[in-house]
This record gives sequence, C-alpha cells and structure tokens, in this order.
Amino acid sequence: MNWKFSNAAELLGRIGESGLGYAEWLIARDAFNAGIEAEAVRAEIGRRMMISRNAIEQGVASPKRSFSGLTEGAAFKVASSPLPPPVADRFFGLAITYALAVNEVNACGGRVVAFPTAGSSGIVPGVLWAWRDAREPGLNAESKRLQDAFVAASAIGVLIAQRATLAGAAGGCQAECGSAGAMAAAGLAVLEGMDFADAIDAAALSLKNSLGLACDPVAGLVEVPCVKRNAFLAANAITAVTLARAGVRSAIPFDEVVGAMKAIGDAMPAALKETAEGGLAATPTGRAWKERIL
Amino acid sequence: MSERALGLLDIFGPVMIGPSSSHTAGVARIAFLARKIHGGPFDRARVLFHGSLASTWKGHGSDKAAIAGLLGILPEDARLGFAPELAKREGLNIELVPVFDSPERYHPNTVVLELESGERRTRVRGASVGGGKVRLQSINGFKTELDGALEALLVLHQDTRGVIAGVAAILAAWGFNIASMTSHRTDKGDLALLVVEVDGIVASGVVPALAGVQGVKDVVYVPSASGGGRL
Repeated sequence: MNWKFSNAAELLGRIGESGLGYAEWLIARDAFNAGIEAEAVRAEIGRRMMISRNAIEQGVASPKRSFSGLTEGAAFKVASSPLPPPVADRFFGLAITYALAVNEVNACGGRVVAFPTAGSSGIVPGVLWAWRDAREPGLNAESKRLQDAFVAASAIGVLIAQRATLAGAAGGCQAECGSAGAMAAAGLAVLEGMDFADAIDAAALSLKNSLGLACDPVAGLVEVPCVKRNAFLAANAITAVTLARAGVRSAIPFDEVVGAMKAIGDAMPAALKETAEGGLAATPTGRAWKERIL
Repeated sequence: MSERALGLLDIFGPVMIGPSSSHTAGVARIAFLARKIHGGPFDRARVLFHGSLASTWKGHGSDKAAIAGLLGILPEDARLGFAPELAKREGLNIELVPVFDSPERYHPNTVVLELESGERRTRVRGASVGGGKVRLQSINGFKTELDGALEALLVLHQDTRGVIAGVAAILAAWGFNIASMTSHRTDKGDLALLVVEVDGIVASGVVPALAGVQGVKDVVYVPSASGGGRL
C-alpha cells in the first residue's frame, strides 16, 4: 500500500483506491509507520481523548488562575453564569466553555494534549466533546464514531503541517488556532454525518476565516489572547459546519487555502510571530503586564 | 536522521503538562534524554537557557520542565509541576542559567545541559523545534542530529577501516534493523563518530559488545524519548 500523500486531493485518492474508510486507512498508516498494530493506535487515540476530557472537567469545576494572573477562570465563569446566553443551544454553549476550560488548564500548568499545539489545545476537544454531551451522551472515548471524528480532525492537521506550518513562530496564530478551528470543523462535520471529502471542505471554510491571525501573546505567555481565542475558534468551526451541512461549498479548495495560509505566514512580520514584540503584546496594557510578570 | 512521515498521533499529541509545547514539553524531553545519556543519577547539573528560552523560561515553566527531565520525569507526567520541590527534597544541586549571548548557529529554542557525577561528565545541546519535538544537536562535543524517536548508539572510534563493518556485524547478530547510519569525522585527531539509529529497544548487552570492537573508543546509548516504544 502507498501511504504517501502531499495534499487533500491525493489523500482522498489513496483512501478511495484502498477501499477502506478514511479513519481505517489513516489509522493503518500510523500503525505501519510506527511498526505497531492498528488496535494500539486506536487505544492511544482513546487514551488521549480521555486526557482531553479530564482537562475539560478540571477547567469547568473551579476557576483556574495562572502563575501570571492573566488567566482567571473564564471557563468557570461562563459555565456557572446565571444569565441565559444569547444562543440558547446547549451544544454551542458547551463548546465554547470546554474550549476555554482546556486552554486555562494548559495555561495553569495542567495536563493537556497538544492539538495541534498546547496554545490551541482546547478547540478540537471543546467542540467534539460538547457535541457528544449535547447530542449523543451514550458515546465514549472507546466509541469508533467519536474516535473517527478525532481522526478526521488530526488528518486536517497532517495536511496543513505537510504544506504549511502549525507553529505560531513560523506562521502566526492562523497556523495554531486557525488550524485547530479547521480541524474541529472536519471532526464536527463527520459527527454530523457528512463524508470525509465534505468534511475537508468544511475545514476550508473555517480556515479561510482565520487567515492572517497574528501571534502576539502578552509577555510571551500562552494566555492572552490564546485562551479566549480557543472559544472563538470553536465558534468559527461550528459556523463552518452549519454552512457546509446546508450545502454551502468553499469557493477556494482546501489545498489552495493551505497554500494561501503559508504565503500569508511568510509575509507576516516577525513582530507578529510569537516574539511578543507587536500587536497586543506591544499595547500599553500588554507592556505593563510584562513589566509586572517578568 | 531520516525524515519521518507525520501521522495522526503527531498532531493529536503529545500529552503534556502546559503551558507551551516548545518551552515546556520539549525542554523536559531534552533534559530527560540528557539524564539517560549520562546513564542515570548525577551529583550536579547546570541548565543553560538560550534564545527565546532565556527570556520566557519562568513564565513557561521551562525551569520546572528541565528539572523534571533531569529527574527522569516525562513531559506528560503531572509530577513535572512539582519537580523543583522533588529535586530539593533529594538534595540535588541543579543550577539554572539564562544565556543572552548565544552563538548564532544555535536554534532559537536551545537548552544546554551539563551533568556531573564524580569524573563522569555529560554535555548535551538540544533544540526544541515545535510541538514538543526535539533535536539533540550536540552530545559531549560531537555534532549529532537525533530526534529521540528511535533508539540510537553513538560509537566513537579510530578512523580506520573495518570499524563500521564490525559495528554492523554486532547489530545484525543481536537482531537489530539499522534505520539510519551516519559517520562524522571529528576534530579530535584521527577519531570519527558513527551515529546509528535502530528499530526496537537496545538490549543492555549491546553497548559492551560494541565497545569490544577493535578501534572503538567509547559507546554512548541514546534511548528513545518516550522511555520505550514509539508512541
């Protein structure tokens, strides 16, 4: 079997030739490259899903405060707010709460799964676990259906990493939270019953809307704007799937959006690529926080 | 080191203690490998933070991460957060030093670890290259390019004929598949360094067997960064 692909079109071609489902093919590829059984890959995916779930529970249970003081329990605040949210749907509210929760746990030195990075680790688990809780509470980390959604999300990360980057230092925040938003869109799309090719198109819709995002963290810490951005990109992914589910297609194919992301990242000045020299980090308040913390 | 294909578990991972995959998880992994290369416990250690680590090491917990790795704690282990207390309780002498005038060839996220036990000294320079992934770029003064994904053996030998064949024969006899083999001449007289990456876990008898090959001066075992296995 040929396990190589360099873009989404080739990946879909390889999966089609194999006669396997997308998740089976991708898991078999991981197993082949690592020299282990496919079952071991599935077991490890399940283990990592549970670690992401535990981070959600922790972040929602009590206000998380970071060493710097920049992170102050936003997930707990949203989860325990007595006011009705403007969007009453339970899935939407849980998704943004969970995305915050994971990233606050990360900011406070808790245990998370980088997905694709630590600073963007709340977006995919936030959206997918929220969907489970609101729509299919019977599913768990061993359910193939839920695992396959994490596989679809991971596959989008592989496609982006191969042709662009997932590192804020190389491509700005579009490469971290932007990529995670696209990954979450693909995972949510398959949970909503869309096929993998359409899930990739939903990922393109989400990724287009986060192109150009700067990585300008205050004091160089993975807190502001990272934590709250996890919630916003979760909402971005949900919007993308709402459109895709209704048959709205991305005018630019996924592979070309990834190319555009790479070009924009290359053109971005160093001050906006995780150096904490520009953008929010360079505001009077951002500088004052830096003075106080470091 | 050969280029490895990116898989699902490279994207959904690593499992780690926050907040930064490159400044926390990567640093812990490099320090973990440095302890393994040293052969375990040490009397004193010095950690030098270069590049962006020199300015953000406190906020990103790079100090805790480095100490954790030196104690043999992996990036995903919750004990990472208490590593400084654990080190204090064990009475370990670990010095942390930010360095602001790094050589230009150093990667922007570089950490250097110096370990000492009696006469034995180990110096490892590693780069944290993103997403928790690492490259060991120098071990005891020898240039390397290892990512800790596979088990590796560094064989320092006299630059004479037959040594590489001798090493390969022993690895074959032990049943190892060689994933990559690179040879570097060094500036230390007529010595050369052979870097071998193998599939599987290196058995404890392999190092003395290699050390017995005619012309071999020293053998350093570099275990995989996960502490065994490739996941």
